[in-house]
Amino acid sequence: MAEHFRGELPRLLRLLAAPAGFLPLGPALTMAVRRFARRKPAVFDRLGDYGKCSFLIEPSDLDVSFLMVPDGTRAEVKCLRRRANQPADVTVRGPLLVLLGLLDGTFDGDALFFNRAISVSGRTDALVALRNAIEDAELTPADFVGATGGLGRLVDRSVIGGLGLARRFTGSPISGEPS
Amino acid sequence: MSLELVCPAGTPSALRAAVEAGAHSVYCGFRDETNARNFPGLNFSPDELIEGVRFAHGHGTKVLVAINTFAKAGAMEAWKAALANAEKAGADAVILADLAVLDHAATHHPNLRLHLSVQAAAATPEAIAFYADTFGVKRIVMPRVLSVEEIAKLNAAINVETEAFVFGGLCPMTEGRCSLSSYATGKSPNLTGVCSPPEHVAYTEDKNGTATRLAGFTIDRFGAGEQAGYPTLCKGRFVAGGKTSYLFEDPVSLNAASLIAALAKAGVTALKIEGRQRGKGYVAEVVRTFRAAVEAIDAGGTEVEVGRLLAGLVEGGRQTSGAYKKTWR
Repeated sequence: MAEHFRGELPRLLRLLAAPAGFLPLGPALTMAVRRFARRKPAVFDRLGDYGKCSFLIEPSDLDVSFLMVPDGTRAEVKCLRRRANQPADVTVRGPLLVLLGLLDGTFDGDALFFNRAISVSGRTDALVALRNAIEDAELTPADFVGATGGLGRLVDRSVIGGLGLARRFTGSPISGEPS
Repeated sequence: MSLELVCPAGTPSALRAAVEAGAHSVYCGFRDETNARNFPGLNFSPDELIEGVRFAHGHGTKVLVAINTFAKAGAMEAWKAALANAEKAGADAVILADLAVLDHAATHHPNLRLHLSVQAAAATPEAIAFYADTFGVKRIVMPRVLSVEEIAKLNAAINVETEAFVFGGLCPMTEGRCSLSSYATGKSPNLTGVCSPPEHVAYTEDKNGTATRLAGFTIDRFGAGEQAGYPTLCKGRFVAGGKTSYLFEDPVSLNAASLIAALAKAGVTALKIEGRQRGKGYVAEVVRTFRAAVEAIDAGGTEVEVGRLLAGLVEGGRQTSGAYKKTWR
């Protein structure tokens, strides 16, 4: 098992993020995905029956993981203790900032795989379907918090700018550069 | 514009990314077995294509629709529907390989411009003349087995445009005639639009690294930190004669950026970037880089360092000029 990934959060930030495991992240993310499904149903049409598959997202630098079933307006996201050994159809593992970069299209999934910045296991067809659906979704941070208009643009600028700085600080792989 | 840059679009968002990054043309396909990138979650619905063509034309970019698999005997409906939907959307050309699909297009959609897919593997003046004379094909996408010198000779002997791959996944086999994927999985890019269909691919990790399995066959194993490649048999690592090696081809991407001027001199009309299965981040970056490279050559300037700029995006972390420079001859 590849245990160390380029671009992981430094120890101090990991410690600061530790309390996140006690927040109601699962219900909040479930609401966010369902809200997004109501706004952009075409994204979930693209997923087709793969929306019923379970995806375990494991940030390698956090002590929590996320189990997601992206079934449109019936989507569920659970926040789990890292070593819960939860069975899932697909498991994706990598640094948090890299996984977030996959969500917003900053990074190319194939390039991350070639460079071993992420590891994957389970049903490759379900993973490919989810990757392609996310790619087309053009997700923004505002989509997750349900912000629109000027507030949405402010959220996007702030979060994307912050993530860019964080990636430079942690040495995350940058698209196009050799790893 | 001396050279047309033809860029991949696996999804509507990738199409917009390619157009905004400077593509002269984009190519895409429908969400079914009529095109050679029939992967889950990828491609366009007929309505998405209409919207995509509208967006591309609004920015002065052409849209080419790949309908480049070989039709099933006695079951051509999907290919006929794809041709009709491409014409309805206002596509600037369709990219075809199968004789029956070419015949149907030439007969029932005479206003559609026809390009011959690389899947047809037409590499001789005689074959190309047949497609041009019989169906009115206007452009040939050349197989990736020709050297620049062979392309120059070919262009001198034909009267249709040629399009050459310059970047992306490198198929080392004669395209349209490779059965490796069929042998292992029963599915192929030729008939079902998928090489190594993902439902047959599995990655497993243990203390020795990551093993890649295709339909139960272990086709490679990567150590921790070692660059990985696509899970295709042609890029698999096997033991033969007591030696472990990539028997057919290393995991490597094509990069012919250093040959853009030579390809233009050889009479090539269009340069093609592979990668409809790649994300919009990849598409935007590769298209932007190659557009700058083409414009630099057009202006008589020096070559852009494409290899260094795109090194992090390539398969296996390596790039090659492929058959364009056949140094082994």
